[in-house]
Amino acid sequence: MTRVLARLERIERRFGAVQALASADLEVRAGEVHAVLGENGAGKSTLLGVLGGMLRPDAGAYAIGGEPVNLDGPRDAWARGIGLVHQHFMLVPALTVLENLALGRRQHTRGLSIDYGRVAAEVSTLMDETGLVVPLDERVEGLSVGVKQRVEILKTLLRAPVLVALDEPTAALAPAEIVSLFGLLRQLASAGRGVVLVAHKIDEVLGVADRVTVLRRGRTVLSEPRDRVDATRLVKAMVGGEPPSAALVGAARAPGFPDGPPDRPRGPVIATLEDVVVRDESGRASLDHASLAVHRGEIVGVAGIEGSGQRELALVLAGRRRPDGGEASVPSGVGFVPQDRTAEALIGDFDLVENVALAMHADARVASGARMRWAAAREQAEDVRSRFGVVSPDVDVPARELSGGNQQRLVVGREMLLAKDLLVAENPARGLDVSATAFVHAELRRVTREEGGPGVLLVSNDLDEALALSDRLFVMTRGRLVPVPEGQRTREGVGALMLGGAGASGAPDANA
Amino acid sequence: MPDARRSLARWARSPVVVAAGAVALTAGVAGVLLALGGYDPWAAASAAAVGAFGSPEAVLSITAVRAVPLVLTGLGVTLAFRAGTWNIGAEGQLYAGAVAGVWVGLVGGGLPGWVLVPVLLGAACVGGALWASVPILMKLRLGVSEVITSLLMSFVAINLAAYMVHGPLQEPRGVFPQTAPIAEAARLPALVPGTRLHVGALIALALAAALWWFLRETRFGFQVRAVGASRTAAAVAGRIDADRVMLFAFLTSGALAGLAGGVQVAGVTYALYEGLSPGWGYTAIAVALLAGLHPLGVLVTGLLFGALDAGAAAMQREAAVPAVWATAVQALVILAVLALGRAQRHLRAEVVRV
Repeated sequence: MTRVLARLERIERRFGAVQALASADLEVRAGEVHAVLGENGAGKSTLLGVLGGMLRPDAGAYAIGGEPVNLDGPRDAWARGIGLVHQHFMLVPALTVLENLALGRRQHTRGLSIDYGRVAAEVSTLMDETGLVVPLDERVEGLSVGVKQRVEILKTLLRAPVLVALDEPTAALAPAEIVSLFGLLRQLASAGRGVVLVAHKIDEVLGVADRVTVLRRGRTVLSEPRDRVDATRLVKAMVGGEPPSAALVGAARAPGFPDGPPDRPRGPVIATLEDVVVRDESGRASLDHASLAVHRGEIVGVAGIEGSGQRELALVLAGRRRPDGGEASVPSGVGFVPQDRTAEALIGDFDLVENVALAMHADARVASGARMRWAAAREQAEDVRSRFGVVSPDVDVPARELSGGNQQRLVVGREMLLAKDLLVAENPARGLDVSATAFVHAELRRVTREEGGPGVLLVSNDLDEALALSDRLFVMTRGRLVPVPEGQRTREGVGALMLGGAGASGAPDANA
Repeated sequence: MPDARRSLARWARSPVVVAAGAVALTAGVAGVLLALGGYDPWAAASAAAVGAFGSPEAVLSITAVRAVPLVLTGLGVTLAFRAGTWNIGAEGQLYAGAVAGVWVGLVGGGLPGWVLVPVLLGAACVGGALWASVPILMKLRLGVSEVITSLLMSFVAINLAAYMVHGPLQEPRGVFPQTAPIAEAARLPALVPGTRLHVGALIALALAAALWWFLRETRFGFQVRAVGASRTAAAVAGRIDADRVMLFAFLTSGALAGLAGGVQVAGVTYALYEGLSPGWGYTAIAVALLAGLHPLGVLVTGLLFGALDAGAAAMQREAAVPAVWATAVQALVILAVLALGRAQRHLRAEVVRV
C-alpha cells in the first residue's frame, strides 16, 4: 500500500452556532489525486483549512506522515510540506508575477535585497517541468483569472510541497484551462505528490481523481477509490436520502398552507427578463442570457451553487442592477430581501423607525415630497413590528441590538410592505433558527396566495427550501438558468442539475 | 433591570456625556501641565475665564466673534462626516472662500449693500465649493482618498491667498502683504451696536438650525445620514445613489467653510492677509467631533473653542502664560474626545453584552 501523507480523523470544528465539521475523515496518499466533494456548506473549505493549518480543529486527530501534529498556523503546515492553493487569490495586484513569486521566499534574500535572478531561474525550471507558463514581468492586476491561478499554483509548487491542496480551482476557469489544470494535477501525482482537489462538479472529478471523499453536513459519508463509484452514487451521497429538514416540515405543516403548488391559476406576468446578460469586472458573463417571466401569485425558486449567477439575477429583478445586455422589465413595487441582512438590508446604528424609512423613503407612506413624515414612518415600523413579531422593547432601539432572527423578521416585514408587485428574496432563512425559518416560509406562501398578491423570486442555496416552496423551480449553473423538469423535482435530480453534471435520471448536461 | 441597563446604554451614548467628559479631562490634564510648567493653574484659569466670559464685552466682542468661523467650518465638517466623507480641508476651503469674497468686496464698490453682501457671501460659498470639488471628484471618479487630497488642497489655498496678497490683490501702495479694505457696502453690519459682533453670528446660528432641520426632517438629509452610516445598505436597501449624496454633502461642506472665510473678511478684517485663519478649518474637525456631529452641538463646541481662544489671549496677558498653551489645550481636547469616544463605544458594548 502506498504511503499515507496526511490523515485527518473525526475532525470537528464549530463556528459560533454552526457545526461546520461534525466528524470528517480524510486520508491522502502519495501519488494520488484525491477529490473532496460536497454541497455548499458541507464543510469542504473548513476541512481544507484544517489540513492547511489555518483552522484548528475542536476535536479529532491529524497526522502528517504518520506523526500526530497540532499545527500552529499555515507556516507550520508549510514546514511540513502541506501546500494550499487558495480559492481566492492571495496575490498582490500591483506587483509583477515574479515579485509575487518572490514574496516570502526568505532563502532568496541577499541582505535586505531580493535575489530576483535566482527566483526567476527557479521559476523557469519549474515552468519547464510543469508546463505552467506565466509572464513573469507582467503585473498581476492585468492577468486573466486562469493565469492568476497558474501563478497561485506556481507559488505553491515553488515551496516543493509533498501534498498540494486546491480549493475549487475550476470555478473560474474556461473548459480548456480545466483540461490543462487536470493534466498538471495528474503529473504532480505521478511524481509522487499527493493532490487534494476540492470540487463540486462530479463529472470533472470523475475524470481526474483516483479517490473520492464526500462530505455531507460536516461528516465524511463516503471515501472510495474512483473505480468503485459512479455519478449516481456520488450524488446520492452528497445530497443524502434523508427527509427534508425539520424547519421545512414545520413550515409546510403550518395551518392553512397546503403542501405543494397552488391549484388555482397563477396571475398575470409582473416581471420579465429577456436574454439578460450581466458581466463581472473581468468581463465574464455571471448571468448568461437569462430569460424568465415571473407571474403574480407564484413562487419561482432558483437553486444553485453559490456564485452561479443567482445573485446577479436577483439584483436585476430587484431593480438594483442594470443588465449589461438584454431587456429587463421590472415593476415599481419591489421588495428585496438581500443575502446579507446586516450589511445590505439594515443599518445597525439606525433605530427600527429609521430602518423602515430606509427602504421606504421614496414611498408616499413615509415621505411627502422632500419631507420625511416621521410620525407615519413610526406607524409603519410599529405595524411591521407587531405583524411580523419582531421582539424588541419598542421601535427606538438600534437594529444591531436585535437578534438575527428578529432582524430578518424586520427586513422581511418591511420588504413585504413594499412588495406590491414582486418580492425578491435571497436565502431569506439563512442563519435563522427553526421557528424564524418557519415564519419566513409561511409569510412567503401567504403573500403569494393573497388576492392580487405579488410574485416571488426565491433564490436559495438550500435545496429543501427551494423544493418545498417553489411553484416553478430553476437551477443556475454557470450563469445559465435551467428549468427543472417536473419529473426531476427531487433532491437527487435537482442536486445533479446544480452540480452541472449528469442527472440521476440521465438528463443531458445543462451546461452543454 | 433591563430598563436600567438600556437607559444606562443610552446615557453612555449621549454626545453630551462625551463632550462634558472631554472638557473635564482636559481641564484636569491642562491644570497639571500648567502647574508643572511653573504657572499657577488657578490664576491662569481665572484669567482665561474672565477673558472669555468676564464681561458682556468679552463674550460678544471676543468669544462670540471667534466662534463664528469655528461654527461655520464646524458645520461644514459635520455635514461631510455625516455623509461618510472625510473633509479634512476646511482650512483651504475657508481661504478659497476668503479670496473669492474679498475680490467681490474690492471690485463691487459701486453696488448697494443689500446686493453686495449677498454676492460676496455667495462668491465665498462658490469658492469653497470649488475648492472642495477637486478632492470629492477625485474620490468618486478615481478612487483617491479625500482625506489626503482635501488636506493637501489646503496648502495650495493658503499659498494661493499668500500669492494674492503679495501680487494681484495687494493693496495699491504695494507695501503691506494684504489687500486694500473692501468697500463699505460690502461689510457686514454689527449685530449688537457697540460691539464687534456682526451679522455673521446670526448667519451661523441660522445655518446650524437649518442643517439640523435638514438632516432630521428632509428626505435628502435622511439619505445623507444613511449613506454615512452604511453606504452598502443605503444603496441596496435604500436604492440611494450614494455618489450623488456624497458629492452634494462634500460640496456643501466646502461652501460652508468658504462662507466662513467670506464672513471673516466681510465681518471682521475687511481685508485679506496671510494668516487670516489661525487654523479654524483644522480646529473645525475637533469642533464637529466634540459636538458628536450634531449641528446644534456645533454651536456649543464652536463657542467653547472660541472661548478657549479668547481665554488663551487673556491668560497670556494677565497670567503670563504663553499662548501656545491654548493650542496645547485644544490638542488635548481633541485627544480626550477621541479617547472618550473609544471608551464610550467600549462601554456601550459592555452594557449590551451584560
